[in-house]
Amino acid sequence: MKIHVKMIGPLIYDVGFSEKDLEIPERTTAEMLMELISVSKQRPKIVTRNGKAVAPHEELAEGDRIAVSPIYSGG
Amino acid sequence: MNGWTGNFLRVNLSSKSAKKEAYSEEFAKKWVGGRGFAVKILYDEVKPGTDPLGPDNKFIVALGPIAGIPAPNTGKAVVAAKSPLTGFYGDGNLGTRVSEQLRKAGYDALIVEGKADRPTMLYIEDDKVEFLPADEVWGNGTYATNDWIYGKYGKGAGVLNIGQGGENLNRYSVVRSLEGRAGGRPGMGAVMGSKLLKAVVVKGSRAIPQADPQGMKTLGHGDLKKVGQIDKESGWSIQGTTGVLSFCNEVAGLPVRNFRKTHHPDAWKLDGERLNNLRIATYGCPNCTMRCGITIHDHEGREAELDYENIGLLGSNLEIFDFPQVGSLNYLCDEYGIDTMSAGCTLSFYADAIDHGAVSGDFKFGDAERAKELLRMAAFRDGKLGNLLADGSRRMAREFGHGSEAYAMQVKGLEVAAYNCKFIPGQALAFGVAPIGAHHREAWIITFEIKFTTRESYGPEKAAKVIELQRIRGGMFESIVACRFPWIELGWGIENYPKYFNAVTGLNWTVDDFWKVGDRIYSMIKLNFLREFPNVTREADYPPAVWFDPANVDTEGPIAGKVLEVEKYDGLLQHYYDQRGYDKRGIPTKATLEKLDLSQEAAVAEKFAKLA
Repeated sequence: MKIHVKMIGPLIYDVGFSEKDLEIPERTTAEMLMELISVSKQRPKIVTRNGKAVAPHEELAEGDRIAVSPIYSGG
Repeated sequence: MNGWTGNFLRVNLSSKSAKKEAYSEEFAKKWVGGRGFAVKILYDEVKPGTDPLGPDNKFIVALGPIAGIPAPNTGKAVVAAKSPLTGFYGDGNLGTRVSEQLRKAGYDALIVEGKADRPTMLYIEDDKVEFLPADEVWGNGTYATNDWIYGKYGKGAGVLNIGQGGENLNRYSVVRSLEGRAGGRPGMGAVMGSKLLKAVVVKGSRAIPQADPQGMKTLGHGDLKKVGQIDKESGWSIQGTTGVLSFCNEVAGLPVRNFRKTHHPDAWKLDGERLNNLRIATYGCPNCTMRCGITIHDHEGREAELDYENIGLLGSNLEIFDFPQVGSLNYLCDEYGIDTMSAGCTLSFYADAIDHGAVSGDFKFGDAERAKELLRMAAFRDGKLGNLLADGSRRMAREFGHGSEAYAMQVKGLEVAAYNCKFIPGQALAFGVAPIGAHHREAWIITFEIKFTTRESYGPEKAAKVIELQRIRGGMFESIVACRFPWIELGWGIENYPKYFNAVTGLNWTVDDFWKVGDRIYSMIKLNFLREFPNVTREADYPPAVWFDPANVDTEGPIAGKVLEVEKYDGLLQHYYDQRGYDKRGIPTKATLEKLDLSQEAAVAEKFAKLA
């Protein structure tokens, strides 16, 4: 299935892209996606799906927009 | 006394006199420094009803026990006064060598009284205080003024100065320092301007008293390297704070079109990655380990510094999705010495008011060239419109009427930071109860709220988080006077800060000891507010009404169909009051004040208004 992934801030430079469409297997969870795109488990982050937080164990769905952001404290 | 110099410098511009004043160790431990010193001094010395722009207001520069000592991000100073924007206590911090130089000169705070008889530059070098003419630079912007000062005293001097905004009493004019940035959003620049004080220059040559200077040196220098390394490994400084824009856009928290919209398809044009591609340099404050100021060439080819707040409020909020143009707007604010955030909200309010028929005018969202002209008019108070713009969004709304106050994006008169809380209840609370008005420094809980709670919740856990962050951010960091970024952005442990504090003071405090100080400071700001506005109601702690307006819902996206609900917000506010020990007006009760050793201050407040 196809999803769209957007990386935010320094995570862009960790994974080597800012945003792109990705083909992923059915039943891929958010946590599995992080492994797939090589986001370090140690990196504090928030992952959102269509603007809402997604838990690591949640399965992703066709057409999802996933954003991966560091933990910011404002400007 | 170790850690503190034990002295304030009191200067009177009217009589051109200066005196060193000793303060007690008890005072130091009770208020710690920075914001703690400032709020106590202003409470004791500036009577309610004092004209913020008159000679009886006092301008304070206050430092803390680790300010200026080499350790992660300790190059900051607090500037404070009664605010001409909000009408009560106001403050802010900025990076400046004054933090180190004033301490080396032998003072933990500078108290400026009276009014000069001509444009003046205050020069402080240890015991020497001079009142020097500044006519030559009166009328100049902050860049030229700072360069003029550097030309006289070298780049090692600590410098604070104002631009034309402060001179012309723009109510959101700031204090500037090229060694860092700008501070004092609620009009601290105008307070300097009202005193004809163009600049403060400080040089110090003494050692700052420390209990364990060698230990602090080893600890501080070692930690500067460690935090710098963490920043390098994490890549945080590549984009600084500007990645926040993409995050806010994703979660429907971005200010767009005077906060009417929460996200925008063109937001990518202002994201941190694109800014990094345009970057020509980065800037930080003294003792900085993670530079957050990124400069680009603006539309006119000048070097302009950007970070998230000014991109959000001068960019997306005005629907200007062009970095060089946003850079130009920011450059003008910095040159004039006016707050980028209040300026952005005031201009967006004006465009919105025209859109909604509250006033007629020729400014439209997206018009960068007209925005530049409006900033100039606001800084110089040019004509009727310039005067209105210089007074901020709340006063403009009162002038325009037609219900426009509902979408003047401010709380207690201070414009909100660049987070659209149309449906982020906890952050809306953080703005509502920020003690000096809707400042972003006090608490920022959006990530917590979205990641660890239900966004729809108005539960006590959100009030608790706001209080926790207020204690750390608005309490501890503002009183020891250091930047919060290493802690929250890089995960540098909060327990490190008491270590620095203990090394310089010889005390044995833990983080818990700072919470009481933070609570005391917040209560003092509340008492200051109460004295000025004795008929206050809890609605003063409400965010802008437009966030409650069902007609303002998003029609698509993550929060489609949703806005804040008044009754639920009021319940969340009550959770905050209950946890804080405040009454139904949001004022600390007598019992709370007693617990915080503020009985004497409570008695003073009761001359003006009843306490519960």
